[in-house]
Amino acid sequence: MAFSLRGVRVPPNSASLEEARRRTLDFFKSACRSIPAIMETYNLYDVVTVSQLRSTISCEIRKNAHITDPKVIDVLLFKGMEELGNIVEHAKQRHHVIGQYVLGRGGLVQDLGPKDEGTSEFLKQFYASNYF
Amino acid sequence: MAAALRPAILRHIRIPVQTLGRSRPLPCLHPLPTSMIRSMSSHGDDHLTREEIVERVLDVVKSFPKVDPSKVNPDVHFQKDLGLDSLDNVELVMALEEEFKLEIPDKEADKIDSCSLAIEYISNHPMAV
Repeated sequence: MAFSLRGVRVPPNSASLEEARRRTLDFFKSACRSIPAIMETYNLYDVVTVSQLRSTISCEIRKNAHITDPKVIDVLLFKGMEELGNIVEHAKQRHHVIGQYVLGRGGLVQDLGPKDEGTSEFLKQFYASNYF
Repeated sequence: MAAALRPAILRHIRIPVQTLGRSRPLPCLHPLPTSMIRSMSSHGDDHLTREEIVERVLDVVKSFPKVDPSKVNPDVHFQKDLGLDSLDNVELVMALEEEFKLEIPDKEADKIDSCSLAIEYISNHPMAV
């Protein structure tokens, strides 16, 4: 669905918070509409459903819900569109998408046993996830 | 060599064409019978019934993770009654789009903020399946 994304560009600046808000919702819609193509491209049918991916996208957006500066929102939107473009254009591989958006930040290693107590904070984070 | 071969080959493979006697008019020139079924047409008799639309819309809303399924009824307002925010609202509309294979334009999508409006919009949409 790259053709539908070609029209999506970040214009210079959002004048107000309301405009930035509307742009965020538009971005969310275009991301949702490209989910079926993403499922097809990365063959995700056996690991995730469309509604789960939709919830993941809204979670990612909600992480930044506290931001009220339109300029900051614009930058985040730009990053989001870049990420979406990369995924839709197949610039990523299947394990990137699964690692970042299906398993989430927790990653494969979920529960830490007693043997992890001695390890440093850095190593724990290193084991936990590669994606920041 | 090739120039000599060409007419020799063409003489053998050319199909003899003759005009048919028009004793029998071609079937495609007949007027279509009124009972003809437009089998490839997408607009047909398979419209959704209102009960089916109500049921499927409510199913979509109930399966939304943040929604308490017991609160959902056909008149429920997404943000006032179910405690969702505007992003959840958009997410629900996208879920409805996926369920009914629609693409709801932004202006209409912004107005859909309750189950009754969603049911109304989908039942008036000719392409909903």
